[in-house]
Amino acid sequence: MASKPESAPSPAQGVGPMYRPDGEKPTATVSKDVSYENVHVLPQTPQLIALLTMIRDKRTARADFIFYSNRIIRLLVEEGLNHLPVVEQSVTTPVGRAYLGVKFEGKICGVSIMRAGEAMEQGLRDCCRSVRIGKILIQRDEETCMPKLFYDKLPADIAERWVLLLDPMFATGGSATLAVETLKERGVPEHRILFLNLIASPSGVAEFAERFPKLRVVTAFVDQGLDEKKYIIPGLGDFGDRYYTL
Amino acid sequence: MESISPFISSSPAPRYAPPWQDLSIIGIAGSSGSGKTSVAMEIVKSLNLPWVVILVMDSFYKTLSAEEHLKAHANEYDFDCPDSIDFDLLVQTLRDLKKGKKANIPVYSFADHQRQSHTTTLYSPRVIILEGILALHDPRIVEMLDVKIFVEADMDVCLGRRVLRDVRERGRDIEGIIKQWFAFVKPSYTRYVEPQRPISDIIIPRGIENTTAIDMVVKHIQRKLQDKSDRHTEELNRLGLIAAEVEFPSNVHVLPSTPQLIGMNTILQNPATEQEDFIFYFDRLASILIEKALDMTLYVSANVETPQGNPYIGLHPKGTVSAVAILRGGSCIETALKRSIPDCVTGRVLIQTNECSGEPELHYLKLPAQLEEHATVILMDSQMSSGGAALMAVRILLDHGVEQDRIVFVTCAAGERGLKRLTAVFPRINVIVGRIEEEGEPRWIEKRYFGC
Repeated sequence: MASKPESAPSPAQGVGPMYRPDGEKPTATVSKDVSYENVHVLPQTPQLIALLTMIRDKRTARADFIFYSNRIIRLLVEEGLNHLPVVEQSVTTPVGRAYLGVKFEGKICGVSIMRAGEAMEQGLRDCCRSVRIGKILIQRDEETCMPKLFYDKLPADIAERWVLLLDPMFATGGSATLAVETLKERGVPEHRILFLNLIASPSGVAEFAERFPKLRVVTAFVDQGLDEKKYIIPGLGDFGDRYYTL
Repeated sequence: MESISPFISSSPAPRYAPPWQDLSIIGIAGSSGSGKTSVAMEIVKSLNLPWVVILVMDSFYKTLSAEEHLKAHANEYDFDCPDSIDFDLLVQTLRDLKKGKKANIPVYSFADHQRQSHTTTLYSPRVIILEGILALHDPRIVEMLDVKIFVEADMDVCLGRRVLRDVRERGRDIEGIIKQWFAFVKPSYTRYVEPQRPISDIIIPRGIENTTAIDMVVKHIQRKLQDKSDRHTEELNRLGLIAAEVEFPSNVHVLPSTPQLIGMNTILQNPATEQEDFIFYFDRLASILIEKALDMTLYVSANVETPQGNPYIGLHPKGTVSAVAILRGGSCIETALKRSIPDCVTGRVLIQTNECSGEPELHYLKLPAQLEEHATVILMDSQMSSGGAALMAVRILLDHGVEQDRIVFVTCAAGERGLKRLTAVFPRINVIVGRIEEEGEPRWIEKRYFGC
């Protein structure tokens, strides 16, 4: 890895519908490019950028923060679900026509990394009504300063399921890495884990993608980098605080 | 050397004329109290169609000056001469309606003898019955009339009716009414009203009692309306043929066929799917369409600061996004709309396809105020096959001042031919389509969604 990848500025470009000439598109900072096949960044549409702008803005009140982050999370879930397998199914439509479609194959479950990840459960349920949701609590160990697993409650048959792992902010990726290792210990194969994330740091996501090459990451935005305290910049502050308490 | 003729970059889009563009106007004149209003009402009642409208010439009385106002209260103002009517405004109004445009009809207060500050909006009638003592007076109006009717009654009967009406409905006293009758109404009849008689097409003696005459007029209008419907249907077919040749323009977006999208479409199209599941998956699919539609609205760069004080250059939406639902199908998408914009201003337009002719018909229209100022108007329909309703709805938005490129038409499924026709006629509107369906697909999505 390059010595200081974090300081590289994020790309700024005109954002807008394809058919509009560049001069008519407003300029905004968009996600950094990530060259890993297993990392999928949502299309940087003006709509997505506007939603992210709302939740980054420190003046956005909690109710609006919740509303706008839920909308982004739904977009993430919709994109994430596209990585699940389907099998062909043909139906006869209400007007008597044959339609060759597909059927969703395989059971899924959500696993949220507490507490910020739990904020993504609503968005997941908006798209998958009765999905089972497991929880993992990971905290920083005061002595070793390393992330430590404090609690987990997962479906008993998790090894047979596809897992949508939820955590909105991905900085160094310590918690996410430990969560994936926990899932693998429970018998979930790496390729059946989808990590859904709002904002990621470029170094964190790169390291994660290399460590778990079969796992897929779906994120809305790869940010500029990390500051000296390992916070994502520009980021959006503490997601859990802004969603639950501020 | 010859001068260079102006260069036209592209051929003009094929035009769509809604059925109300070629409006029929029927003028009914006659003495005060002759029964014009009753005849007009009887015609409307017999036709029993929502697009037949009575326009009363009294609405076009001029506002009186202070001096005239005093005269009016003393029953000394002549309301029966042509000067009391604002014919210029009436002519302009009729011309606008004839072009298919929206018109604001003044509201006149008989109590204050003044035009009120508010107006009534009149849009999309196919037949107007213009009723007033001088309906056939102005040659500019006569020229626009399809049928000219003169209602006649014995002058004693007229006076009797006028007394009753003015006392009951306009709160006047008998003395004043009689004074006005002999000073103005009767002389005016001889001078202005009666001379309209020879230029009329039909003279109806005995007013409302004359059912034979009214029946004739009704039959005539019905024939005219049938012609118009046939022409409209023919026009729609012609536009469909023109459009079949063209490609989709770049502002038509069909959602990419992702596994989830096909999966949802499979569930939705499976008759075995429970109602509850149908609604859930429909709302989910429609939410994706709405989020996509919001990409089409206007955005401006915005500098914000995160809680840690880091700057971020993002975007803010610019201006209002409103929506118009084409009923009943379009209202299926409202749940999804409200998920993204909970307080979205929403207009409604009921367009029904005539079961016999297949022609789309406008039955009801309620649009938000200042629609023309909104940054984006999302026009919603659950499904579009031939696209007649969509074509009509876009026309309505344009007639209310909304620019083409501010319209985003959102539909879950559309037939290719209908879609091409829509974009050939309105090449600058944006379209978001969930799935291209077979040609001639009947509307079934709304039945499934509402369960009836």
